[in-house]
Amino acid sequence: MTPPGPFRPTFWRSPLRGPWLTALLGSVLLVLVAVVAATGFVSHAAYQPDLPGNAIVDPARDLPLNFVWPTGFTYLYAVTQGLHVNVGLVAIPFLLAKLWSVIPRLFVWPPAASPAQALERLSIGLLVGSSVFEFVTGVMNVQYWYGFRFNFVVAHYYGAIVFVASLLLHIALKMPVIVRAYRERDAARTDLVPVAPAAPTISRRGLFAVVGAGSAALLLANVGETVGGPLRRLSLLAPRRQVIGPGPNDFQVNRTAGGAGVTAAMTGPDYRLALRFEGREVTLTRDELLAMDQQTATLPIACVEGWTTTQKWTGVRLSELARIAGAEGAGTALVRSLQPRGALRLASLRAGQLRDPDALLALKVNGADLSPDHGYPARIIVPALPGVHNTKWVGGIEFS
Amino acid sequence: MRARYGASPLHLLAHLAVLPLVAWALLQVVDRPDAMRILLWLAVSAVVHDFVLLPFYSVLDRAGQLAAPRPAVNYVRVPALLSGLLLLVFLPAISGKGEPSFQRTSGLTYEGYLGRWLLITAVLFAISGAVYLVRGTK
Repeated sequence: MTPPGPFRPTFWRSPLRGPWLTALLGSVLLVLVAVVAATGFVSHAAYQPDLPGNAIVDPARDLPLNFVWPTGFTYLYAVTQGLHVNVGLVAIPFLLAKLWSVIPRLFVWPPAASPAQALERLSIGLLVGSSVFEFVTGVMNVQYWYGFRFNFVVAHYYGAIVFVASLLLHIALKMPVIVRAYRERDAARTDLVPVAPAAPTISRRGLFAVVGAGSAALLLANVGETVGGPLRRLSLLAPRRQVIGPGPNDFQVNRTAGGAGVTAAMTGPDYRLALRFEGREVTLTRDELLAMDQQTATLPIACVEGWTTTQKWTGVRLSELARIAGAEGAGTALVRSLQPRGALRLASLRAGQLRDPDALLALKVNGADLSPDHGYPARIIVPALPGVHNTKWVGGIEFS
Repeated sequence: MRARYGASPLHLLAHLAVLPLVAWALLQVVDRPDAMRILLWLAVSAVVHDFVLLPFYSVLDRAGQLAAPRPAVNYVRVPALLSGLLLLVFLPAISGKGEPSFQRTSGLTYEGYLGRWLLITAVLFAISGAVYLVRGTK
């Protein structure tokens, strides 16, 4: 006998539910999620985890999906992560609406009439669990709430694999249902159509408008931190909406010198940059670096969290430093920060990134010396590089 | 096959192609020191929407329908939904839960986020009220 309450088909009364609504919501969600997943995996590759010091996910346990990250389009990483975070936000109302549209399915009775249904319900459980997990952890991470107390990058990465795998399975299994829903609308009578519908309080068109308005609200509340300019202040809830001031160093800081444990003693007159190649070492003072040929480039810092800030950087070309170290043909460079502890104090660059004429060891920004929080005495800035790989407080570069 | 299994062989093959990949992904985290928390959050994620969030907003919606019968209900529903969505997504900033780490790393605070969310909420309901007034008096 069917248990009472939500297990009875008469319990679900919204006249809006039906295969056509679910198919439509699912189709929009699919497009959005495809963008979010693709940019997520592209970002993973942009960190170039095959190079020393770069991997956060153990390379021995990673999928072989890496490729050489280019420098050609300066805003490549800004666009990648801007899409990942903002389209992710846009997807949330559609995910919630999609889950609402299929909630009666959770309470079908009997819970599994066949092995096939039991298996499919397991995969749906994985899909719902991993999708909610990905959105919740992503949203928490961009706002620095680490209440989950696990490694975000590792969990978000493997969670994404579970999500994408179970989503592909779901689409494959539901394709005939989707096609039928589009062809026949609700003439395709399924258990999603209520048997005892209540009087409507809103039309389906109205529902879509509300869901779309929800997406627009989330987008407007955040997108300013990605686009920058006057829009930054208008995004009233964006974590990185602060406009710090008019000075040359008044722009977004990911990690402060204090937060990284970098002290004035480390960056004072005793500061030396060490260039190493094949056992030989060349050391340079900041004044010696300033006396070298200076290059200026306008480049963005684009954070994995989706915010971007574009500034005018001046410093020595990385290719020039490679030449001084006698490492003109270097394949990679391992950049070491003075930062005494914490993740991301080591980051490797590829040959293409070293050779780009705009790839700099920046000493100045907007005409002024870098501030301590922006990496004084010297920081890396490379076109299209993920933000945190633009190492600050550079103490050494090891070419190989 | 169809009679015993309940679907076509393709249904089974699709599962057998995908579930091992899922198992592989989960295996990559099970021996980590933080594995229990990752798996717990994954499990909670599978039920929190269906058994907490959806019942919660359904009850609120029912209460709204009793308080403001249709067609007026949507003038309450829409701003409430937008405000609730903003609260849900920006909760770490609005509640200040993310502030300690935010301040430690970047030196910034989440001052003013709660206030701005309240103001957004007020404006949303005010707009909805104005629209109701205009449409209602026509």
